[in-house]
Amino acid sequence: MRDMTDAPDRRRALVVEDDADIRSLLVQILTMQGFDVTEAGTAREGLMAARLGVDLITLDLNLPDGDGIEICREVRTFSDAYILMITARTDEIERLTGLETGADDYISKPFSPRELVARLNSIFRRHNRQSAVEEANATERRRAAEVQQSLLPRDALSLDDYDLAGQFRPSRSVGGDFYDWYRTADGLHLTVADAMGKGMGAALIAATVRAVMRSVSNQSNIDAAFNAAARATEPDLDKAGSFVTLFHARFNTSSGVVDYVDAGHGLALHITAGGDCTRLSPGGPPVGAWPGQTWTPGRLVLAPGDTLAVISDGLLDAYPTIDDFTAAMARVVHSSGSAAQACETLLGLADVPEVDDDVTVVILRRKAAGATGEAGNLRAAERAG
Amino acid sequence: MRFSTEQKDSYTEVSGTGRLNMVAAPKLREVVGEVVSAGNKRIVLNMLATEFIDSSGLGALIGCLKMARQAGGDLRIACVQPQVKMVLELTSMNRVLTPHATAEGAFSND
Repeated sequence: MRDMTDAPDRRRALVVEDDADIRSLLVQILTMQGFDVTEAGTAREGLMAARLGVDLITLDLNLPDGDGIEICREVRTFSDAYILMITARTDEIERLTGLETGADDYISKPFSPRELVARLNSIFRRHNRQSAVEEANATERRRAAEVQQSLLPRDALSLDDYDLAGQFRPSRSVGGDFYDWYRTADGLHLTVADAMGKGMGAALIAATVRAVMRSVSNQSNIDAAFNAAARATEPDLDKAGSFVTLFHARFNTSSGVVDYVDAGHGLALHITAGGDCTRLSPGGPPVGAWPGQTWTPGRLVLAPGDTLAVISDGLLDAYPTIDDFTAAMARVVHSSGSAAQACETLLGLADVPEVDDDVTVVILRRKAAGATGEAGNLRAAERAG
Repeated sequence: MRFSTEQKDSYTEVSGTGRLNMVAAPKLREVVGEVVSAGNKRIVLNMLATEFIDSSGLGALIGCLKMARQAGGDLRIACVQPQVKMVLELTSMNRVLTPHATAEGAFSND
């Protein structure tokens, strides 16, 4: 960001111009505009002065000891100053604008003082406004990222016979992803969600959704609990013109039964010990997307060695089709030694230019060792469910 | 993203070229808002040249559908490309916004 937010009397300008008459005219104009002006008659002097720090440089294209374009490029290597190139030839300007000179603007000699003042005013007004907006945006992004971070589970959760891990990587602009988990009497509740949009708006919606989902945790029926939570969230989402994709699962550790509702999330995978992969069935559209929706729960059983993987759509952008995505996820999960390692590897796949959204990965694996005898009973439970 | 609007015999066609993301989403709402407030209630969004959609873009589609329905009309989508189709299916939003093969056919069964 350019440092031009100082009061006008603190702005520093540098005039690099070999013609003494034009130089003094420029100095006079800039001084009247409130600049603290340094002048240089040669490229060498100009570069030295520029290194001392200035906000604006007027640079003559034809100096006795150097080419203005080269000087401009060199200044750019150490300075963010606004560079206004001055040339005697109008036709030069067209050629210059096609070059990567690093200059911000061009003006041709002869110029009227009024023209120069108008140019300076528009530059500095624009930049003052821009820097203030940029700063405000950066602050908001930082706060939104803090809100988002605060929604994640603080502690790892250790469950006998299970391996659970989650990872979250925010995008630069901060999206609306979060995941949440907590123990219950017989196991675990898990929520993975993505609120539409970016920034603080999305982060605040995510915070609301997390709180509402927790508030229905004591309702024993997942269907009733989810629909109640959705009804409670819809007015807020409607007001904000937003929606949230939501995967909510309730997991019984002793039976391995996972009841879930997938509201527009679409990327929850059941990967068996053998490496087969099934995408869990959708339960309905995102919450808040359209009025009058109901959501249908589904059920699966995690047999020993099986994994439930819930991945946000940010990572999907790295793959041409959903089948490619599913196959890639299954391969990683199947070949990873632990849930944490799988999360790590999956997040690594997001380091491609196609992915500029948040990425969230939650992995719940039932350990394989010593529990194989129960698999038949669990399959029976799945059929009964 | 660039949008264009064309008045057909029985509907207004809005076409969008480019990526329907957070930057383009408000523009789409604006374009469809103008169409609706001009009194055109049957709108087809031709997505032949819409190569990408994200959650903000999906939000804009939903917002436009709401606008059209509130005005007593409807908005339908046509010529949907693979990535857009995938997002609609993934989110189950194809239940609400059903893609039509052609713009001409979107209102043909009414």
